[in-house]
Amino acid sequence: MFGLEYPPIDNLVVWPDALFEGTILGFNKIALISLLAMLIPAAIFFFSKKDLVPRGLQNVAEGAVELVEKEVILPAIGPDGLRYLPLLLSVFLFVFFGNIFEVIPVFQMPANARMANPMFLALMVLVVFTFIGFKYNGAKFFTDIAWPPDVPVGLRPLVGFIELLSTFILRPFGLAVRLFANMLAGHILLVTFGVLCIAVASGWLFPLLALTFPMLVLLTGFEIFVSFLQAFVFALLTAVYIGLSLHPAH
Amino acid sequence: MLLLLAAEAAEEAGEAASNPILPDMSEMVWGVLSFALLYALINYVLLPPILRARNDRAATIQADRDAAEAARARAVSASAEVDDQLSGVRAEAAELVDEARAEAEAERQRLVARAEREVNAMQEIADGEIEREREEAMVSLRPQVADLAADAASRVMGRSVDASAAGPAIDRVMNS
Amino acid sequence: MSVLATIAAEAVELAQSELPAADQKGIAGAAGAGMAYGLAAIGPGIGIGYLVGQAVQAMARQPESAGTVRTNMFLGIAFTEALALIGFVVFILLKFA
Repeated sequence: MFGLEYPPIDNLVVWPDALFEGTILGFNKIALISLLAMLIPAAIFFFSKKDLVPRGLQNVAEGAVELVEKEVILPAIGPDGLRYLPLLLSVFLFVFFGNIFEVIPVFQMPANARMANPMFLALMVLVVFTFIGFKYNGAKFFTDIAWPPDVPVGLRPLVGFIELLSTFILRPFGLAVRLFANMLAGHILLVTFGVLCIAVASGWLFPLLALTFPMLVLLTGFEIFVSFLQAFVFALLTAVYIGLSLHPAH
Repeated sequence: MLLLLAAEAAEEAGEAASNPILPDMSEMVWGVLSFALLYALINYVLLPPILRARNDRAATIQADRDAAEAARARAVSASAEVDDQLSGVRAEAAELVDEARAEAEAERQRLVARAEREVNAMQEIADGEIEREREEAMVSLRPQVADLAADAASRVMGRSVDASAAGPAIDRVMNS
Repeated sequence: MSVLATIAAEAVELAQSELPAADQKGIAGAAGAGMAYGLAAIGPGIGIGYLVGQAVQAMARQPESAGTVRTNMFLGIAFTEALALIGFVVFILLKFA
């Protein structure tokens, strides 16, 4: 239909190595975006002045800190969660800048639409919340997770199995898949409309461009929102899991 | 442990090269390196100055607010003092005004009384003068009146009437 | 149900047809992929709609607690949405893997 030539998915998400090809340090577009997702927030924080009256970049940096503090840590953990600010801020910034390259020209690819970064971050969150729970609650942490105290003894193996599965397998799986699938879906959506626009524009159907092009612009805006929201949700869920490890009673 | 898991996954990815779900090992290595560096930078280098700047700002704002509060309290007490002074001054002024008014009233009454006295005195003098002049006029007019009356009477009666004879009658009329 | 029956019938027809095995697998994968994502989108669609509706109602009734409600709404959306996203991943796996 419309002479639409949809590219195979490898052309959309798999990028060839530019440096160190074939080794474990193969440096491709995703690795470049990961590096930039580290460098850009670091530069924003580094070059923001530390004035009494914030201006310019300082507003951006302090806005990010305030957002993570007020909207992520305080509702999800409480005041004693403020010591995890560096971790949660790093997670938020890394995920957000990995996502936002989805709509930045030339790059047009979210780093998190590849499983590597989401999976690594999710496994790190698993390690972090297990470590925090064990550090502050000892072995009681595992039994508290496995079954609420008033569960009858006969049911404990079943409940414990389900709860441990849900905590240690489904939580990181859900975290990773949520981020990955959201960004991959957004990327495929943008590619689909981009391909559609090109296919329509070259033929006699070009008046249809009046429909497809605004839609592409609209979806680009929507993907900016999704980029932010997914970073926010990732940080929020990390905070919620840390909070549940700190105070397993509720 | 994690890296082993990831390595396994990556090996599988190597077998099925086109699987878009499985992570790519080199991408994950770069992701781990980037994130670890970002976390280290934020934790040790980038975040503390910003938090310090924010605390400084909060402290400055608090200090300024305290200073403003103190200044306000000072202003309130000063204005209360001024009000006190002002009301004292006002009472004093009212007292002075009352005093002055009473004095002025007394002075006025004194003046009025003196003026009345003077006027009365002058009137008495004038009354006496008028009376005296009237009497003088009577005395000076009397002979002429007597003559005129005698003349008139003689004409009426057809015979001469002596003025001196008529004198008592004239005196009676004029004094009545 | 009839849709499922149709797909099953098509699969049997495919198996009996002359196409090479790889093509058959590809066609069956594509059909299954569509089904997987379509079915996976139903539940979360209803769930997120209900969730956001209730959240908006709560915010309208108590605007002063809008911040907390919004945070919890995003959490709920994140959990509900995961199901649809797993469907999407299955779609990708069936279609491309």
